[in-house]
Amino acid sequence: MPILYGANPTWADVTPVPQEDGGPHPLAAIAYAEEYSEAMGYLRAVMAANEYSQRVLGLTEHIISLNPAHYTVWLYRAKVLDQIGANLADEISWLNPTALQHLKNYQIWHHRQTIIDKLGSPEGEGPFISTMLEQDSKNYHVWSYRQWLVKRFDLFDEAELAWTESMIEADARNNSAWNHRWFLVVGRKGGQALEESIVDREIQYAKAAIRKAPQNQSPWNYLGGVVRRAQLPASSLKDFVLEFADLDEPDKVFSSHALDLLADIYTQDEDKKDEARKALDLLAVKYDPIRAHYWNYRKGLLDSSPAAQQIA
Amino acid sequence: MSLVSGPGRAGMADTPVELQLFVDKHVRYIQSLDTRKDELEYWLTEHLRLNGLYWGITALHLLGQPDALPRQGIIDFLLSCLHGNGGFGAAPGHDAHMLYTVSAVQILATLDAFDEFEERIKGGRKRIGQYIADLQDRETGTFAGDEWGERDTRFLYGALNALSLMGLLHLVDVEKAVEHVHSCANFDGGYGTRPGSESHAGQVFTCVGALTIAGRLDLVDQAKLGAWLSERQLKNGGLNGRPEKKEDVCYSWWVMSSLAMLNKLHWIDGEKLTAFILQCQDPEGGGLADRPGDMVDVFHTVFGIAGLSLLKYPGLQEVDPVYCMPRAVTKRCLGK
Repeated sequence: MPILYGANPTWADVTPVPQEDGGPHPLAAIAYAEEYSEAMGYLRAVMAANEYSQRVLGLTEHIISLNPAHYTVWLYRAKVLDQIGANLADEISWLNPTALQHLKNYQIWHHRQTIIDKLGSPEGEGPFISTMLEQDSKNYHVWSYRQWLVKRFDLFDEAELAWTESMIEADARNNSAWNHRWFLVVGRKGGQALEESIVDREIQYAKAAIRKAPQNQSPWNYLGGVVRRAQLPASSLKDFVLEFADLDEPDKVFSSHALDLLADIYTQDEDKKDEARKALDLLAVKYDPIRAHYWNYRKGLLDSSPAAQQIA
Repeated sequence: MSLVSGPGRAGMADTPVELQLFVDKHVRYIQSLDTRKDELEYWLTEHLRLNGLYWGITALHLLGQPDALPRQGIIDFLLSCLHGNGGFGAAPGHDAHMLYTVSAVQILATLDAFDEFEERIKGGRKRIGQYIADLQDRETGTFAGDEWGERDTRFLYGALNALSLMGLLHLVDVEKAVEHVHSCANFDGGYGTRPGSESHAGQVFTCVGALTIAGRLDLVDQAKLGAWLSERQLKNGGLNGRPEKKEDVCYSWWVMSSLAMLNKLHWIDGEKLTAFILQCQDPEGGGLADRPGDMVDVFHTVFGIAGLSLLKYPGLQEVDPVYCMPRAVTKRCLGK
């Protein structure tokens, strides 16, 4: 049932401002949905009068329910909350179901961040985020918001790491979860060296995930990242890589990513150029032909200067 | 420009690959968007109107039909979105925001209308430049989208894009902006919205674009990023935006333009990608969709066509990978 502001005595003092259309074609009579049109007319009027009140809060809530991507409405709502000293916990309770209804909405997250920042506590945010990720486990806005929360409230702890592991366990192909792990373990260190025990733990963790699904890109990227960050040679991964790609058994390659890394390890070894070439040929012809040009480019580097050979 | 999706759908994946680009159909599709004011979605997408206009105009120019929309009407509409502070809103009555301001500048550039704009709004260009410059955080080099302060590498790229087109880059601290972009580089070679954010092909485009405008591609681990970008191609020829995600026509643009800026466009299979983009057309009503079988819209239409232009599809105007505008236009503005 549409809310008709014109018939509501609470709004009798407001004259709605009609749509001003500056477009190339003058706005003729249109079948603009009555409900949205009327609500917007009242919003334009209260914005012009700088009205901040409980009823405007209700009006913005109504418009957001009709069109959550309208950024001006969100901004005005934030202003109203601020001006009338609204209860921010109530705002979060209202935001939760709204966010669930509009998973791809952008504005909602910035709004939430502003409110939680003012509230000064991350309480309840963990469960809420989990509910959101149940709908779409790779939602970029949600993961960005989680990072902000971790930074804002200094949540770089074991519980956060355990939660991230549970996300990776639920879906090892969730690249967002892998990125969050990097953010927690490595990113927080800035330029500082990583403890050896952490490096070992991370390498073992990525290896275990790869053994479960050898063609999964995310843990390979992670493994390579950790090895580079710890300044270990790529060749330290050779035995592991051979589990999935061995040139002696070219028909039994279980992972193009392993073959890629193997090619890289051989490239850096002066005596193994032929092996490197063979691995890259296998990629170009058999295991990843869609990127043949890229693999052939890598092959071309084999004959150039050693400095140009540092791919990884 | 309406952001209404449909009414048509892209062909199905089994459409023959010898498909052609239906230029006339796409032109008519874009022209028709502004006549759909009787649909609720037209009004619900009002907050994107100025972006939509930029997408539509750019597509038409790349299709070689620059006069398919009325120039004067477009300029009048732009002016009706301009705020006193030099920023543009998405439509009349909407708050000013970086994203719409950038679209407005790109449209003015494409229509070669800066002088006309200046005649109607004295000192207008300078005012736009100042609006953008004031959104920079001089401590961190980042840019906010509006006075409310959300920060994202998209805004930073947009700022450098618009300012460079107007010859006003000196209004901001480019060096600081570059430092910030560099701090968004990730372990996999890609870039995200903020330091630590997951790599995403759209954000890679904004970061590599910003660094290209600033002349600092030397900061990019080009082999690593190029490998990550080329890894976005899937067996069906389409490109995705992140590992283990689905293909989508708009990534034809974000991924390919980034590869083009790094001179590595040949690292992906252009023929397969061309076939994939062509399958995303609605062969009857015009327009392109994110993938075969889905509803078409102007956003996927422009990025599909721009992608085909990078792939040197015959008959299309050359696109500038840094700006997503006709190369002839950026040459005129930048003098190079």
